[in-house]
Amino acid sequence: MLRHLIGTDMARKILWLRCRPGPLKDYYAVDYPTLDTPWSAVEFLAIDLETTGLNPEQDEIISIGYAPVRRGAVVFSESGHHLARPTRPVPEESAVIHGLLDRHLQAAPPLETVLPRVLRAMTGRVPVAHFADVERGFLDAACRRLLGHPLLVPYVDTLRIEKRVLERRQDAITRGALRLNAARERYNLPRYKAHDARLDAIGAGELFLAQVAHMDTKKPPRLEEVITG
Amino acid sequence: MDVELIEIRDFIATHHPFDLLPAVVLSDVAGKLEARYARQGKRMIAIGDHVEHLYIVRTGAVETHDPSGQLLARKGEGETFGVDALLHGGEAKNRVDVLEDSLIYALPGAEFHDLRKTYKQFAYFFEPAGGNRLRSGLREANNRSAGHLNLMSMHLGDMLRRAPLTIGPDTTIQDTARTMRTENVSCLLVVDDGGTLTGIVTDRDMRSRVVAEALPYTAPVSTVMTADPLRLSADDYLFDAMLLMSRNAIHHLPVLRDGVLAGVITSTDLVQTQSTSSIHLVRDIYKRDTAEGMRDALELVPDLTLQLVDSGASAHNIGHVISTLSDAATVRLMALAEQRLGPPPIPFVWLAAGSQARHEQTARSDQDNCLLLDDSYDPEKHGEYFQAFTKTVCDGLNICGYVYCPGEVMAMTERWRQPLKTWKQYFNKWIDQPDPKALMHASVFFDMRPVFGNHSLFHDLRASVLKKTKGSRIFLAYMASNALSRQPPLGFFRNLVLVRGGEHNQTLDLKHRGIVPIVDLARVYALDAGAEVVNTLDRLDTARDMGSVSKDGAADLRDAWDFISTMRLKHQALRIRANKKADNYISPDELSNFEKSNLKDAFSVVKTMQGALATAYQTGRL
Repeated sequence: MLRHLIGTDMARKILWLRCRPGPLKDYYAVDYPTLDTPWSAVEFLAIDLETTGLNPEQDEIISIGYAPVRRGAVVFSESGHHLARPTRPVPEESAVIHGLLDRHLQAAPPLETVLPRVLRAMTGRVPVAHFADVERGFLDAACRRLLGHPLLVPYVDTLRIEKRVLERRQDAITRGALRLNAARERYNLPRYKAHDARLDAIGAGELFLAQVAHMDTKKPPRLEEVITG
Repeated sequence: MDVELIEIRDFIATHHPFDLLPAVVLSDVAGKLEARYARQGKRMIAIGDHVEHLYIVRTGAVETHDPSGQLLARKGEGETFGVDALLHGGEAKNRVDVLEDSLIYALPGAEFHDLRKTYKQFAYFFEPAGGNRLRSGLREANNRSAGHLNLMSMHLGDMLRRAPLTIGPDTTIQDTARTMRTENVSCLLVVDDGGTLTGIVTDRDMRSRVVAEALPYTAPVSTVMTADPLRLSADDYLFDAMLLMSRNAIHHLPVLRDGVLAGVITSTDLVQTQSTSSIHLVRDIYKRDTAEGMRDALELVPDLTLQLVDSGASAHNIGHVISTLSDAATVRLMALAEQRLGPPPIPFVWLAAGSQARHEQTARSDQDNCLLLDDSYDPEKHGEYFQAFTKTVCDGLNICGYVYCPGEVMAMTERWRQPLKTWKQYFNKWIDQPDPKALMHASVFFDMRPVFGNHSLFHDLRASVLKKTKGSRIFLAYMASNALSRQPPLGFFRNLVLVRGGEHNQTLDLKHRGIVPIVDLARVYALDAGAEVVNTLDRLDTARDMGSVSKDGAADLRDAWDFISTMRLKHQALRIRANKKADNYISPDELSNFEKSNLKDAFSVVKTMQGALATAYQTGRL
């Protein structure tokens, strides 16, 4: 693994050199701030995907929602939501969760049209997701498949932060305790009922703000203290 | 935006004043918000900060303090803050601290200002003083009761029936009177050559300025007219005309349309737009020869209240109408008593106390009254007559439905049927030794109004009492402290605190927790100012003019009184319509979000003014 040998920053620079001109090269052309930057000076992008399953190599992205987090605020006006038309029918068990059926997705553009827009939104921003393995795995796979190179970027994972908090407090982590809404409830955040990618992204962004506010650091936390990997 | 933020939109849509915005605009607003999170204890806004957003509490709570540290407001879910700063160039005058972990939505200031410019009702809500806001709310609420002839919705222009009758300033008084006779009108407008309104002359002017002064009939009308009279525009509401007339004790108002004289509105026009039944009712009462007969006539009072509420009459006016009926019944009963017992041997005056005295009765209530006798009173000689006289009247009132006062504050009670010198002693004692019982009596008897008899006796008593109370800081401090004993039902988080348990479980007591505190405040201000008036709104006006309450404070309390009283009357009207007994207990379920928000504003005003009174009189030290 490239980045384990040379570090993420250097690996991103190499990827920028290797990419052909296009959305991914543009993405890599802008660096995000260094790890010692105070968190409030960093731009984040709360992001949430809906997929047809959990395996990035087999399953497909059908919906992407995001919202920037800037200077301590989730900015709705720059939030976005894209549907992507899958190549195969949506399995019933995942349609039950996100409520997206084939007919909703028939009119949507394919992922190759949507991905560059998402990369533009991600440019210069550190992604924030609840259980970021999904976003990391699927976006990386999509970039490899459609744009020829991996998507290498550190994530803030609000689920991992929450797990750390609960472990530190030595609370027993019960089943479901780390779900987005369960975590939000602990911070007196409202329960958003809808299950759509944009609202979930906003939800994760708000949870992130709450988690940072509750970190008992003397100074505002630096980027490396909120990044989880 | 491709998909709307439906949940965010739905949240703001259920909170006032956003509920006044069209649905499409709400979606747009939702899309322009930012979400922030603030932990308990954090200072959200410091004094002097530049505020660039309107903040809406999504979850949690915040509180605002002024620079002196006084608590101004607590804001919970769905409520806004940062408004004052936004309306004053952005600089924060007050600080905002977070009481509970909060998620806060922020709307960019530019968007806020755009909304204010485009949507007037939305803008009203954010007008700087809570009082203004309440005033617009009242107007809005009244406008909503559509379908009825409405003082708040009818324009004066719609009321004008005939072209204005005008005369020149040089017309003689005699010619003026002749024109009035031929045209069968009670006033004429005086205009100059260009048709500009320069004066008004009325029947009353003819009596008081011509006949009474023995002016020659050949003098020009300009010598007796009221020059440069008050006027209104055709776009103004009937309500405005009524206010202007009652404030200035006038009965005619010229109306201009686009600056041109268009006609005259008279108090008769106004009365005709409302039901005339109150006048009929008074006449009916005077025709009855027994208390039972009067009771039958008075059975119409609930219906009358209903009609008045429906026609958009103000709580102030309704209070006057209902109290006038009680006066009529009292006067008629006294006339009947005189017929039976013969003429009274010495001068006396019958005084109404409490809400009847203040002209604030809503339905028939307990009777509160007393008798003030001339100092020539000799119990040996006159005692028997007045005992029988007052017993007859009080019994009659009881039959009419004004049941005996449980505290025996009635003229038939010997203690409250005394000559002037005794009454003066009573008041002196209450003022000098303000123990709880004295304060209770003081509250009742400071609201007194002569109903029938020799008014000069009453004026004598009142003058001596007011002279003593004015500036008596200690007594006033006790009265102030007494006025704070009932607090508005607002909780820590500016939530409404409901009655718990009992017959009125989960309701708000509008009378004791809303109206009575305002009545009590107004009484203290009025006593401090040495004001003679007893009606709460009149007291506030006089106290304001005399400087014993701030201008804003008086205006806000006026609106709060008006709002709560109107709400209570509407509630009572609904109960009457449903064949239930009118009461003062309103369930929050009966209220729209809009009304709840206004009610909270009204209660906040009371709370603020109580706080100010406590500080002014240092009631904490008593």
